[in-house]
Amino acid sequence: MELLNNLAIGFGVAMTPANLGFALIGALIGTLIGVLPGIGPIATIAMLLPLTFHLEPVSGLIMLAGIFYGAQYGGSTTAILVNLPGETSSVVTCIDGHQMARQGKAGSALAIAALGSFFAGTVATFIIAAFAPPLARVGQSFGAPEYFSLMVLGLIAAVVLAHGSVLKAIAMIILGLLLGLVGTDGQTASQRFTFDITQLSDGIDFAVLAIGVFGVGEVIANLTRGEESRSVMSARIARLWPTREDFKLAWPAVLRGTGLGSILGVLPGGGATLSSFAAYVLEKKIARDPSRFGRGAVEGVAGPESANNAGAQTSFIPMLTLGIPGNAVMALMIGAMTIHGIQPGPQVMSERPQLFWGMVASMWIGNLMLLVINLPLIGIWVQLLKVPYRFLYLSILLFCAIGVYTIGNSTFSVLIAAFFGVAGYIFMRLECEPAPMILGFVLGPLMEDNLRRAMRISSGDPMIFLNRPISLGLLIAAAILLLIVALPAIRRGRQEAFQES
Amino acid sequence: MTADSPSNAPPHHPLHILARKNVLAGLMFIAIAALGLWLSRDYPIGTALRMGTGYVPRLLCWFLMGLGAAIVVQGLREKAAPPERISWQQLMPIVVVTTSLVAFALAIEQIGLVLSILLLVGIGAIAARDIKIWETLVAAVVLIALSWAIFILGLGLTIPVWPVW
Repeated sequence: MELLNNLAIGFGVAMTPANLGFALIGALIGTLIGVLPGIGPIATIAMLLPLTFHLEPVSGLIMLAGIFYGAQYGGSTTAILVNLPGETSSVVTCIDGHQMARQGKAGSALAIAALGSFFAGTVATFIIAAFAPPLARVGQSFGAPEYFSLMVLGLIAAVVLAHGSVLKAIAMIILGLLLGLVGTDGQTASQRFTFDITQLSDGIDFAVLAIGVFGVGEVIANLTRGEESRSVMSARIARLWPTREDFKLAWPAVLRGTGLGSILGVLPGGGATLSSFAAYVLEKKIARDPSRFGRGAVEGVAGPESANNAGAQTSFIPMLTLGIPGNAVMALMIGAMTIHGIQPGPQVMSERPQLFWGMVASMWIGNLMLLVINLPLIGIWVQLLKVPYRFLYLSILLFCAIGVYTIGNSTFSVLIAAFFGVAGYIFMRLECEPAPMILGFVLGPLMEDNLRRAMRISSGDPMIFLNRPISLGLLIAAAILLLIVALPAIRRGRQEAFQES
Repeated sequence: MTADSPSNAPPHHPLHILARKNVLAGLMFIAIAALGLWLSRDYPIGTALRMGTGYVPRLLCWFLMGLGAAIVVQGLREKAAPPERISWQQLMPIVVVTTSLVAFALAIEQIGLVLSILLLVGIGAIAARDIKIWETLVAAVVLIALSWAIFILGLGLTIPVWPVW
C-alpha cells in the first residue's frame, strides 16, 4: 500500500490550483510546439528554463514535463492531418496516419492516437510509481566507483541508441564534458578554460548553453534552410469516434506499443523517438498482412503513438531515481533541478517526496488534460500551422534573448548564448548531434567528482572500477554496447531502423 | 538536413575532400582538443591519487583528439556525396541572428526593454526572405506587449523598461 500512499501524496501536490494550472500551461505549450514544425521540445524547454527559476521547483518541473509529453500529442496531430511530423517521435505516424486521413478516416486516426497515448501514459505513470522506489534504493547503495561506471554506461548507451555516427556522438560527449569543466575547479579552486574572463569563473550556465545550442542554433538552421511550403489539408473531420472494427485492430497494438515503449523509455538514449520507430517495425513484422502498412493501417498509428508516449514518460525513471539523464530533455530537467538547488539522485525521493510524487501524479493529470483539451481543439491547432516561420523565429529569438538575460541579469550571458547559437548551427551542419554534448555537460562535473573520490578510496589504483562487482558489471555492459554497435550487421540494421520513413 | 546539390559541384578537386562533413567535423574536434591542450598547458596534472586541475581536462583533450583523427580517417575513406556549396543566402542568417542578439545584449541595460526588443526584431527581420515593414512593426508591438506581460507583470523582474537618463 506504500504505492497508493505515495500516489496520494503526489495527487495532493499536483491537484493544487496552481500546479493544475502549470500542468495545463505545460501541456498546451507542448501541444503548440508539437504542432509547429521548426521548434521542438528540447528548444522550448531550454527557452523556458529561466522562467522556472521564479517558480516553485515542483511547479516548474510539472510545467516542463507537460511540455515534453504534450509535444508527443501535438506532433501526431500534424503528422496525421498534414503529413508533417511536428516532432521526430511522430515521423512514423505520418506513414499510416496520413493515409487514414486521406481515406476520410482522419477523426478515427486522431482519436486512436489520443486514446492510445492516454492509455500508455496511464500505464507508464504506474510503472514509474511502482519501479522508482526499488531503483532508488539500489542507487542509494552506490559508492563513487559505481556512480562513475553508471555514468559511463549511461553516456555510452545514449550514444549507441541514438541515431547518427557513433564516433561523432562520443566526440560530442567529450566536448560536453570539457565544457562542463569551464570555471573554477571545485577541488583546487583554480580557474580552468576561463580565458581570464570573470564571468566565466562560475562556469558556463547550463541554461545559457542549452538555449544557445538548441534555441538560437535551431533558428539559424531553419532560416538557412529556407521556408518549406506547407499545404494544410482542409478536409473536415467527419467523425471523431473510431469504428468498432478500428477499435478491434487498434487495442492490441496499443498494448504492444505501451509495453515496448515503457521498456525502451527506461534505457539511456531511449525515449519517445526510438520507441515509436521500434513499435512501427514490430507492428509491421507481426501483422498478418504487412502490405496494409503504408496504406492506412490502424495498428501503424496505434502502436507507435502509444509507444512514444509511454517512452517519453518512463524515460523519467533513470533521471528521477539515479540522477542519470537518458536523453537531452532529461538532461534539461536535471539542469532545472540543480538550478533550484536540488541535487538529482536517489535521495530526491526520500528527501523530497512531495516533489517526486507530485511530478509523477501530474503526469497522469496532464495526460488526461491533453485528451480532454486536444480532441475538441484540433481545428485550432491546424489553423496555427498557417503561422509563417518569419513570425515564429522572431518570437523564439526574443524569448531566448530575454530568458538568457534574466538568468543573472547578465548581458555577457546573451553574448555566450549567441556564440553557442553559431556553434550549434555548425554542429548541425556537420551532422554532429548536440544532444549528447548536453548530456556530457550535465554529467561532466559529477563524473570528475566521482572519479576523484573513487581514486582516493583506492589510493590511486584504477583497478577499483573492475574490482567492485556492480561497477564491473556496469562497465562490461558499456563495453558490450560499444562492441555491438561496431559490428557491421547491427550497424546496418540500426541505420535502417532510423531511416524507415 | 539540407539537400545536396550534386549538379553544380565541380568534380574532384583535391581540396574538396576536406570539405566533406565528416572530415570537417573531425578537424573541428582536433582543433578544439588542441586549443584545450594549449590552454591547459600550465595546469598542474598531479597524480591519479591526487588529481590536479589539469588531469581530467588534458585526459579528455587527448581522447577528443584521437576521436577527431578517427573521424577524419572515416571521412576520407567513405564514398561521400560531393560537398554542398555554401551561398551568401545561407550564411546571412548566421550574421543577422548573431548581430541581433549582440545588439540586444549591448542595448538592454542602456535603453531598456522596449527599445531593445525593437532593435532585436528590426535586425532579426532581415533574415527573412521577404521582409514586410508593416508586418514586422506589428510583430514587434505584439512581442513588446507579450514580453512586458510575462516578464515584468507576471514574474516581476527588474529589467529596465525604458531608457534611464
